[in-house]
Amino acid sequence: MPPPRTYRAEGLVLKNIPFGEADLLVTLYSRESGKLRAVARGARRSNSRMVGHFEPLTVARLSLARGRSLDIVNQVEVTENFSSLKSDLTTLARGLYVAELVDGFGSEASSNRQLYDLAIETLGSIRQHPARELVLRRFELHLMRAAGFMPELFHCVECRKPLEPEQHRFSPDAGGTLCLDCTPSGVQIRTLSLRALKVLRMLHRSGLADLPQLSPHEPLEQEVKSILGTAIGYWMDKEIRTNSFLNHLEHWPRAEVSS
Amino acid sequence: MTSQHLPSAAPSLARLIRELNKLPGVGPKSAQRLAYYIIRLPNEEAFDLAEAISSVKHNIVFCQECQNLTDADPCTLCANPQRNREQICVVEDPLDVLALERTHCYHGRYHVLHGVISPLNGIGPEQLKLKELFPRLANNDVQELVIATNPTLEGEATAMYISRHLQGANIKVTHLARGLPVGGSLEYSDELTLSRAFQGRQEV
Repeated sequence: MPPPRTYRAEGLVLKNIPFGEADLLVTLYSRESGKLRAVARGARRSNSRMVGHFEPLTVARLSLARGRSLDIVNQVEVTENFSSLKSDLTTLARGLYVAELVDGFGSEASSNRQLYDLAIETLGSIRQHPARELVLRRFELHLMRAAGFMPELFHCVECRKPLEPEQHRFSPDAGGTLCLDCTPSGVQIRTLSLRALKVLRMLHRSGLADLPQLSPHEPLEQEVKSILGTAIGYWMDKEIRTNSFLNHLEHWPRAEVSS
Repeated sequence: MTSQHLPSAAPSLARLIRELNKLPGVGPKSAQRLAYYIIRLPNEEAFDLAEAISSVKHNIVFCQECQNLTDADPCTLCANPQRNREQICVVEDPLDVLALERTHCYHGRYHVLHGVISPLNGIGPEQLKLKELFPRLANNDVQELVIATNPTLEGEATAMYISRHLQGANIKVTHLARGLPVGGSLEYSDELTLSRAFQGRQEV
């Protein structure tokens, strides 16, 4: 029996691209069927019933019709728009970083409920705890886990022996931690401090509610950020565009206008 | 589309089709139709079109003041002494200036950013005409900056960026009201639009 011509989905809008005269090509990560792309006809017209429903970081319930190459949105209803997250530049930039990584790691037509729930709960946490950058680090680690790329943090990936304290390094290409005796050829190897390894293990175990507070400029947080950034960058295998804006906000320029 | 795809077309015609095909929204079939239309045009009309393209490429420059596209620098709006020098309206594109001018509501000057901050597309503040905006505010008697970016996520991000940049500066920063479009309906409006419309309600 052929699949029904229409179906429903609830998903997080990851991005939208102007399409044709007044349409939008929307990319969502849906609870039911993973990443999907659909055309919202006329959604750019100010008098369209769908205008404003497809902004990135909006959770929407949709009714869709299967098309030959792209599905068509028939109806849409916003269920969560994370408005307070979008009203601050830093939390907005972090939210867009989450959306870009979900877009990069999520696969089309393949449901991954763990990834969907992780994205939604991370956006909620960014909104509730705007000062906690560790929320993003936990997201990165759990995203790799949900997508099947979780780095090893307890054993050497080469010899499989449990790691000894102070005797380990990290290699994103090799798949995680390495002991000092193993140096596989042709892979990138980085130093990893014991404190950073402990933070990574703690991020691996902890929920969003029990994340510790680290100072954002503390070298430890920078080391964890760099290690996870290398691993994410390796698996994404393309430039993470939102990173440059996040870095720009981190080193905020001073106004050149007289007070 | 290469000339191999047009084996029967004369080389000059194939070249025209190729060039037209590069235009946004013009596919191979439309490019062929446009090319044959141009061939059938009277000579003077076809040469006028070619001359208009050549002229626009030679003469159009950025206005040093507002960064709008102009063939006289400063542009007619910036050079007009009747325009209010205390207000600057920031817009995304030159077409937004035309849209606002059609309203006859605004009599100040403009600043065209030529884009918006779009982190997902790798467009940051440094790629916009923002570095030309802030000195204008420092050097002139500007009292109010009206941010008229589109009410999209990117437009809002750009508005937030500008207002955050001007925190502490002695300039009133406003942005266009958000809410229901004329002819729209409450039933089909999203929550954010409705809540913005509610916040911006006015006494009647």
